[in-house]
Amino acid sequence: MNTPLSEIEELISRIAMGDRAAFRALYGRTSAKLFGVCLRVLNDRGQAEEALQEAYAKIWTRAGQYRVNGYSPMTWLITLARNTAVDKRRASGRARRYAPIDAAEQIADPGPGPAQQAEASDESRALHGCLSELPPERAEMVRRAYLDGFSYVELAEATGTKLNTVRTWLRRSLMQLRECLGR
Amino acid sequence: MSGPADHDLPRDFPGGWEAAAAEYVLGLLPAPERKAFEKRLLDDLDLEQDVAAWQEYFASFAERIAPQEAPPQVLHRLEAQLFGAARKPVWRQLVPYLLGAITAAAIAWGVSFSGLLDTGNAPDLWADLEIRAPELVLLAHYAPDSQTFMVRRDAGTLPQDRSLELWLIPKGSNTPVSIGLLQDVTLTEIPLSDELAEQVPGATVAISDEPLGGSPEAGPTGPVLTLATMLPRGD
Repeated sequence: MNTPLSEIEELISRIAMGDRAAFRALYGRTSAKLFGVCLRVLNDRGQAEEALQEAYAKIWTRAGQYRVNGYSPMTWLITLARNTAVDKRRASGRARRYAPIDAAEQIADPGPGPAQQAEASDESRALHGCLSELPPERAEMVRRAYLDGFSYVELAEATGTKLNTVRTWLRRSLMQLRECLGR
Repeated sequence: MSGPADHDLPRDFPGGWEAAAAEYVLGLLPAPERKAFEKRLLDDLDLEQDVAAWQEYFASFAERIAPQEAPPQVLHRLEAQLFGAARKPVWRQLVPYLLGAITAAAIAWGVSFSGLLDTGNAPDLWADLEIRAPELVLLAHYAPDSQTFMVRRDAGTLPQDRSLELWLIPKGSNTPVSIGLLQDVTLTEIPLSDELAEQVPGATVAISDEPLGGSPEAGPTGPVLTLATMLPRGD
């Protein structure tokens, strides 16, 4: 995303005051990114379009709350879109095909290409660096949970383990991640 | 003052509240644990910072997701939903008739609330909605501050093969205006356009049974399952 963050913040604050032109401008600048996020979670164009529409309706009504929560503007937008898509995915209750997470077959994250590396934020670099310190199948569980909106039930199925076991693994991995990110 | 008791914590799992913060951001906490977590979040600054930090880190996953252009009709639908701009062609035929209805409603509103037109004083409005089949207990609530129409589902499950559509029938009118579909969540939230928001006081809210995705026409096509008037309630 090349749009300067301050510009997005300004658009959000104008939207909080009911500025429709600012809303259209924000949609123009950010909808492709958020649609990519919705598609990643839902893997279905129709549902992703609905999720995108719902996410921007929330942006319109909640723009006034943006300042309060202190996130960077893209984080706020991405979180709203991701959570809307995950809610939709869970509400649809549709079984979805996914590749199993197999410890033996899991290959380590190949890492970003040079272009991605140049554009990556500090957060992204730290996150991927710390994920690579985890066993690959555990890192994959974290990715599936955020990017695909997997529930513990789905994570248990994908890893072929019991629910409690998968939760213990994930919580341990999250604590390892937290420790690494805090370094 | 004491925070939520420690028994709210999932004892059998490692990581305590710190791990729960990450689970919360991922949407992995079971409902009772999520409630306990949110309660604690209200007065635990460290936990709040943990949640914010996880949000920032996890949102950075999206940097590696390629942007995809959304089809233009998404913006059209969105603007119609939020601002009531683009209407279905059928709608246009109803405009002269509808304008009369809006004027009538606006006059009625002006008469009964003259001097109180400041939206800061506008009361929240409510209506109980009960449906026999499928058995549903719903509460409609309109909050003028956020211009949001909400429907809370207190009991029952939604049909999987049909959509339940919400309609607003402004006072003095008999033309239902669609405000959206009942979503399969506990609280359906629908932001209203300025035009629609003005018509909520004294309006009737109705729910009709429609094909998946909602009525293909400007008005309801299926049977109306329930009706109630939006009115203020004493605290």
